[in-house]
Amino acid sequence: MTDTPARPDPGAALVEALAAAVTAHPAVVRLDGGRFGAVATHLPGRRRLVGVRVGEPGEPVEIAVVLRAGRPIPQAVAELRAAVAALRPGPVDVTVSDIALDPALPGGGPS
Amino acid sequence: MTEATPPTTTTSTATTRGGGAATGATAGSPARVAEDTGQGRTTIAASVVQKIAGIAAREISGVYAMGGGVSRAFGAIRERIPGGGTGAANIAGVQVEVGEKQAAIDLDIVVEYGASIRELARAVRRNVITAVESMTGLEVIEVNIAVNDIHLPELDNPEDLPAPVVSRVE
Repeated sequence: MTDTPARPDPGAALVEALAAAVTAHPAVVRLDGGRFGAVATHLPGRRRLVGVRVGEPGEPVEIAVVLRAGRPIPQAVAELRAAVAALRPGPVDVTVSDIALDPALPGGGPS
Repeated sequence: MTEATPPTTTTSTATTRGGGAATGATAGSPARVAEDTGQGRTTIAASVVQKIAGIAAREISGVYAMGGGVSRAFGAIRERIPGGGTGAANIAGVQVEVGEKQAAIDLDIVVEYGASIRELARAVRRNVITAVESMTGLEVIEVNIAVNDIHLPELDNPEDLPAPVVSRVE
């Protein structure tokens, strides 16, 4: 939080592009902070982008998402990983924090 | 309740869209997602497995409710708390242990009177294993089912009773 908003941060654009790419996937409900809320990027301007963390070069990108229930998670994760790796080559750690249920699904509540 | 369940690895027939996923080693295979593929780790939270298992168990007719008496009571309270959400109802009676590649699931269920508990447990186990393995890619090593209670229809509503046999002959 020592950065001032006036100073452009080349990493911020990448993080925001990654977040947009992840959120655009149809299986993704929202980004999430992961188990301890640690998957987040601190951006200049006192902003905190939860759900995407880009480490130092060589470190994996971490993303944490809440997925829509009803479709296989491995496929969605593979597609997310490919989408992120297309923007920032390298390993991608994906955390599926939760799934969001459609209330219309069976089991949405105990009748 | 310890019959060996065949490892039902359901092959994901979902087509990979676009071709972007084709680069992922796990894309088309039903194999474990959680393994380190060199492209990063995949972590699936326990609540994900809990919800999937809870829904899969409820899908079987004959399962009246999930959870023991206490967790059902708490679940009923939790549902009324803002933020407790309906998700709390889905994970009542489901305990999971999730590792990198495997998951173990314990279920507490209340059965309907009139269902064969042995058959019901087998059906629940099969459905839970299929759902969790196909949805998460984790291997389900065991599903332990505890039948806590049996639900008698006449306690709720006399209309739930099976219709009495009127007459055998005319």
